[in-house]
This record gives sequence, structure tokens and C-alpha cells, in this order.
Amino acid sequence: MSTGLEREPSVEVTEDELETLVGDRALARDDHLNAPGFVIRPDDVQDVLTDLRDEAGFDHLANLTAQQYADRYESIYHLRKYADPTQEVSIVVPTTTDEPVSQTAEPVFRTADWHEREAFDLVGIDYEGHPDPRRILLPETWQGHPLSEGYDQEKPQLVTLTEHANPVQPDHHDDESDTMFLNIGPHHPATHGVLHIETVLDGETVVDVDPDIGYLHRCEEQMCQNGTYRHQIMPYPDRWDYVSAGLLNEWAYARTAEDLADIDVPEYAQVIRTMGAELCRIASHMLALATFALDVYGDFTAIFQYGMRDREVVQDILEDLTGQRLMFNYFRLGGVAWDLPEPREEFIEKTRDFLDGLPAKVDEYHDLLTANEIFQVRTHDTGILEPEVAKQYGCTGPVARGSGIDYDIRRDDPYGYYDNLEWDVVTEDGCDNYSRVLVRMQEVEESAKIIEQCLDLLEDWPEDERTVQSNVPRTLKPDADTEIYRSVEGAKGELGIYIRSDGTDKPGRFKIRSPCFHNLSALPEMSEGEYVPDLIASLGSLDIVLGEVDR
Amino acid sequence: MTGGQIAGAATLPSAPPAMPLQDTVLLPERLGELTGLDGFGLGGELLATFLAAFIVGNLMLAMTGVAGPWAKRKITAAFTDRIAVNRLGPAGLFIILADSVRLLSKELVIPENADRPAYDLAPIVVASSALLGFAVIPMGSGIHLADPEVGLAYVFAVSGIASLGLVMAGYASSNKYSLLGGLRAVAQNIAYEIPLVITGMSIVIFAGTLQLGEIVSAQAKPLLTIAGISIPSWYALVNPFAFVLFLVANFAEVGRNPFDTPEAPTEIVAGYQTEYSSVYFVLIYLGEFLHIFLGGAIIATIFLGGPAGPGPAALGIVWFIIKIWAVFFATQWLRSAVPRVRIDQLIEIGWKGLLVLSFANLVLTAVIVGLIA
Repeated sequence: MSTGLEREPSVEVTEDELETLVGDRALARDDHLNAPGFVIRPDDVQDVLTDLRDEAGFDHLANLTAQQYADRYESIYHLRKYADPTQEVSIVVPTTTDEPVSQTAEPVFRTADWHEREAFDLVGIDYEGHPDPRRILLPETWQGHPLSEGYDQEKPQLVTLTEHANPVQPDHHDDESDTMFLNIGPHHPATHGVLHIETVLDGETVVDVDPDIGYLHRCEEQMCQNGTYRHQIMPYPDRWDYVSAGLLNEWAYARTAEDLADIDVPEYAQVIRTMGAELCRIASHMLALATFALDVYGDFTAIFQYGMRDREVVQDILEDLTGQRLMFNYFRLGGVAWDLPEPREEFIEKTRDFLDGLPAKVDEYHDLLTANEIFQVRTHDTGILEPEVAKQYGCTGPVARGSGIDYDIRRDDPYGYYDNLEWDVVTEDGCDNYSRVLVRMQEVEESAKIIEQCLDLLEDWPEDERTVQSNVPRTLKPDADTEIYRSVEGAKGELGIYIRSDGTDKPGRFKIRSPCFHNLSALPEMSEGEYVPDLIASLGSLDIVLGEVDR
Repeated sequence: MTGGQIAGAATLPSAPPAMPLQDTVLLPERLGELTGLDGFGLGGELLATFLAAFIVGNLMLAMTGVAGPWAKRKITAAFTDRIAVNRLGPAGLFIILADSVRLLSKELVIPENADRPAYDLAPIVVASSALLGFAVIPMGSGIHLADPEVGLAYVFAVSGIASLGLVMAGYASSNKYSLLGGLRAVAQNIAYEIPLVITGMSIVIFAGTLQLGEIVSAQAKPLLTIAGISIPSWYALVNPFAFVLFLVANFAEVGRNPFDTPEAPTEIVAGYQTEYSSVYFVLIYLGEFLHIFLGGAIIATIFLGGPAGPGPAALGIVWFIIKIWAVFFATQWLRSAVPRVRIDQLIEIGWKGLLVLSFANLVLTAVIVGLIA
């Protein structure tokens, strides 16, 4: 088993050095709780970002937040390092209300492509020089920008579906060429939700791929902005990545809000959180494995059913713990909702039984799946995602680790109880579909290790020290204009949240950094030039959940 | 209608069959005798033939009826830790009835731009081409419609017609997924029909005839006798290599895992059958199952001794059906356990692998048979 490459030590860049690097281009400082922030002019974006990437090693555009204030628009580029995500810097780009035009960052970070489209779509900032300035989540015909000030929510929108007026378009993309345009989705057996992939085929070879997302856009960010910090936001994260990664998502909000409002979490609750989150990771990876097998095998085969069967056990354990099977709503700011279910011994034993049976099941998967020659022929050297490309697209999680990028928030930017436990970050250097499967399978085993240790701790925890929640005020009102970006290692990668408080008990801006969003944007790089079946397999290996992509 | 007339009925159990299992009297003739139709000249003969064909056709359709809605579900469920249909009747058997009502009562949706005669004809071509093949298969117990001298060639020829149906379906549906599926189906059928036929030819060299009745009786000869138990010279035992080749080529020919690329549900939705609903869908589905069974029938006939088996020869049909179902079971097993190869890999395996191997097998067989003779 690979436990990853030796990590290159990353050179710490001090704030002074950053200040010198940005130099005169910094108009002001706008520090966030997590990172120093520099305000720059809208036409310096590429310049500054290139310097930060090449000179200071900030090679990860983790997120782009766009928002409107009373007097200006603002784009915030949250930069990090793959080598050390605790080193962060925020680049704040204000633009005027009358003419919200800002330079695009797409030539520096490819992932800015989709992010800036989203910023244009929802907030209304134009990015000059953007190669593809279309809406991304809403239909092309949408009027106005829903997250901008003065947007009239009551105004009925007529979506004429012009973009799909003719679902069966002429066979030839254009009259000259020999290619065929094919709509894969939004209703297709292998798109893992409602995803529409506009594909141009030359025979069976994929010439061009353009994922069209937004079919599952449910205004999650806005809904969170309309809920109070204390209780009303926590149920929403369950609904982003809705395939059993609920607790991992909840932790993203819990971590961000707790850091924002300076809330402590009792150690005991952290252990429970860690255990619950890893159970969710196992459930999620099992499903990823099962559906990937479905994509490659092409039918509801044994391996799919085995994956579902084993996930069911995890689901039962999580139900015992949280009372719910999918939408857990189990985390609270400052802890978790309640202690382990009584009788404790029974719960612990049940979980242990599952962990004891796991190695045999993983062996079975290896027998059926990774050892199968046809499976190897199908997945080796397909869906190649080179590490440099992956970084450009902001890929994280098993997708990045399958490309040999040793990046795991749990270890690199520790939270919860992970720091005190023995486990490894799994990486594979294959960069192909096969590596991503291997990474997920090994991560299941690592998660099992973590749960095992948590169970030992929970079993011996003194009875009078089992505090599941700290005291948190009934109403949370963080200071106005406090900004924070925090992330956790979700099932699919770095799940981050940016919150700006406006002095009330609801967030002023709530931005979700979805790992699936980034991972999916790399699909064209992975599948162009390969065959249709490889496109499907690559899509499956990304393990996207459209609920999280579209939010 | 039993009896004394059936050749080999006098053979004692466990003793090597003294007489070939080949039916000396074909089913239409016997029916004509039994019903007295043979007294009416040509018209009577035709009617008897039609009656016999009706019986055989319905036997096969009944088998697919059991296989499609019920057996397939139960077998797959057993492989994947599920229970499958169990609400209607014993072991859910009545689902067959419910499913037929459901499928036949659905609306027949025909795409606006469908190429009409071709679109309507395709399901019929697919289903009937397989049924035609059963005409020359000796099923034992006197069920054998015809035994032409070119029997084996005829079977391959009519089952090959199915490719035409698939292309028609793929092209006429005016759907890009159907088109891709149709093209894949042709590419696949061409790539695998040649190894299939070549491997079949190696059996012809052994048997010295294309007549299926003769091929079956040639296999009744004992291969060797161990402790009083004689092992018949089934060609699967005589030349296991050819058997495996034929089996693999056959899975590709009927489009089943790992070679189900023409349908490939996760890639091209349902391939050539994407736009078919209701009765047409049933016909295409029937056709596919018939093809699996026809493939099984060919394998049983030229490799597994046809209807031969222990017990009186009257049980021939039972053994024959068991052998067909064994092949069907194998397709379902593969479907549950083996991934699908990619279309380019499929073509490569066909042209660069199976074709070469089947020719090698043919030449080797010819040399060995020539030396022995």
C-alpha cells in the first residue's frame, strides 16, 4: 500500500514578504480571519496572481467568492498552497457598482473559468478577457443576478428553454466537419444525477466535452444566508453532497462558524465527530466504488450490489448514532446533538463488528474489481489527469490523490481529533481511473483505522467528562465584516465555506466551495481524445454529486 | 405420441447407445401420420409442417417468456445478494403474466422522424431470424423439424440476419444513441461471426457433414470407457479449445457481457433499442433471448451431443433444454461478474485474437483429422 510521497517542505512565506511581493499593487489591507488579504485594482488581477503563484508558491486557487456591497462589487480569490494549505492569502478585487468589470484570472488558474462564470451568473460581475462568459448555473435566458442587491425575487422568470429547443440537433456539428454532436444527459443512465454533457464525437472518439451544470441548483448559498447561525443552517449541508457524506458536510459549516464566532468544542465531541465523519466517508466511498463499477461493468452487477450491501451496514450504524439515515443534522455549533446511543456497549460492538468484517470485504472487492483483467484494461491509462493539470483545476480529494498530489486537509490543516490519531494519507501516481479507484479503496481502510481508534477512546472515556456540547449563546452575532474561509476534507475533497458576517444573526454572504465543482471542471481535460466509454468511466471516477456541484 | 418409433429407445441406460440419437422420422412427418393429415397430399403435408413449426416455435417462445421476466431476475439476484420477484405466485413466477400485460399494454411511442417501414420491420427481423434457426436443430424426443444437408450453414446464415435487423433498428430510430448502437452491433457481429463460423467448420471436419442430425449422431460414439462408464465423444471433450473459442464468440454474437457494447446501458443508453417501446420493445427483447437460446442450441448440438444424456432417449428434449439453459445461465453469470470491454478493445479481441485462434484451430483440426484418417 502506498502511503504517499515524501512531502516537500514548503517554504513559509511571511506576511512581510507577501506585502513586498504585492508591493504597490496593494491598495489596502483587508485581512480575513484565516488569511492576510490584499485589495488590488481590477486590472492587476493576473499580474498579482501570477506573482503569488510563481514567486510565493500559492498554486491552489481554493475558491472565488463574489459579493455585492452597498457601494461596490467584490471578488475574493482565496489562494492556498497544495504543499501547505494553512498558508493562505486572500486577494480582494473591488469594482464599482456602475461598471462591475474585473480582469479574469483564467489564464493563471484554469479553475477561475467556472468560478468567474458563476460569479457573473449569481452576482453579476463581468470578467474582462474571460474565454467563455456564459451563465453557468442558471438558464441562458435568466434576467438579473440573484445574489446582487436589488434583485427582484418576486419577478416571474420565463425560461423559454431556447438552449434545448431542439434536443435532437442535426447530426453534424457544422456542415464542414465529420463530427457528431451528442447530448449526454441531462437524463442518461450514467451521469450520476442531472448533468448534461455536450459532447462532440468523431466516430466514437470524443473531440470536445462541455459539462453543462445547474439542473440541480437549489440556491443553497442564499438559503444559508437566510438562516440563523445557531440552528437554521446546519440542516442544509446534508443536502449538498446527499449521498451519505452528510456529517462531513456538516463539519465544514461547523468548523467555519465555530472559528468565526470563536466557539470551543469539547474534546469528547471532537472524537464523536471524527468517528461519525469517517463512517460517512466509508459510506460515500463505497457508493463511489459501486457506481464506478456500474459505469464500467454496465449493469447492476455483483460488485455494485456488494457495495450497496456493505454501505447499508454503515448506514445502520449512522442511523443509530444520529437518528437519521441521510439527512443527519447531528452536528451542533460547539459539539454534537447527543452522546452515543444507549446501550453504549452495543453500539460500540456493532461498529467494531463492521470494522472487523471490513478487510474481508475489501479483499472481495479487490478480487472482483481491481484484480479483474478486463477492468484493468478498461481503467489503466484512461482518464489521465496529470498533477499539474489537476492543480490548475483546483482538484482535491481522492481525485487529486489519485494523481499523486499529497493533499489532505485532515492532516495538512488539522481539525477535530485527526491530529492525535494514527493514519496515513493515501496517494497513487497512476493519474488514471484505476488509481482513483485504488485511492478510494485504501481510504476506506484508513478510515476504518481512524474509527477503530475513536471507538477505543470513546469506550474508555470517563463517564463524568462526556460533554457533547459546549455552552454556545442562543443567538450568535459575530462582529460585522468579519470574513473567514475554512475547509474540511469532505468525501470528494476540500469542502470549504466562506462566511462574511454583517453584524446580524445571519451571514451576510455564505459561499460554498464544492470539491465536485472543481473536479468536474477537469473532465474535458481527462476525456478529450478518448472513447465514449472512457468518458463515462472518467466521469464515474470523479465521483461527483450534482447536489454539490450545483448547490 | 410416444414410443417404439423413436430411435434409440431400446438402448439400455448406462450402456453406450447402440444406435445414433438422430431422429429417423422428423416431427412434421410423424404429426402427419398421427393426425392422418398425410392422406391429404401436399396440402396435408403443409398443414402438418405448419403444426410442427407452431409447436417448436411456441416451445422456444415459452422458454424465453420464462427466461426474460423471471429466470433472468432470479439468477441475477442470486449473484448479487438479492431476492428479486417474490410477490406473485410461487417464487414470483406469475410475474411473467403481470409483465406481459404490462409490456403489451404500454403505449407504442414512435419517433417523429423514424424511417417507417424499416423502423417497424426491425423488431420482427430480429425476433424471427432467431426462431428460424430452430427449424433444423435436433432437440431429441422426436422434435426435429427438418434436417437439411447444409443444416449448420443454414443456422449461421439465418442467425446472421439479426444483424440486419439491428442496423435497421439503429438507423431507422433517428436517434444518435441508436445509431451508435447499430454501428457497434454491426462491427461486433462481423468481427465475431467469422471466428464463430470458422470454429464451427472445425467441427464439420470432425463430423464430415454439415447435417446437424449427423453431427449429433457422430457424437454418440464412445470416446473412451473408464470402469465400464463410457464417455461419449462430444466435441466439447474432443476439442475443448474449439469449444471455448465458440463459446466466447457466441457471447459476442448474442451481445452479452463482456461483449454487450451494442446496448451498453451506461454509455449509449440502450443502443439500437433506445427508441423502441411496448410491443416492439418486447419483440426486440424476445429476439435477444431467442438468440441466446439459439446460441445455446447450436452449442448443445455441435459440442454437447445435442439431446444425448443418461436415461431413455425419450428424455432427449429434457437434456437438450437443460443444456440450452446452462448456456443461458452462463450468460447471466458473466453479466453479473464481468465488466464490459470497450468497443475498440472488442474489435481488437475479435480480429486480432479470436480470428487468428480460430484459424489455428481449424488448421490443426484438419491436420489431426487428416493424420488419423
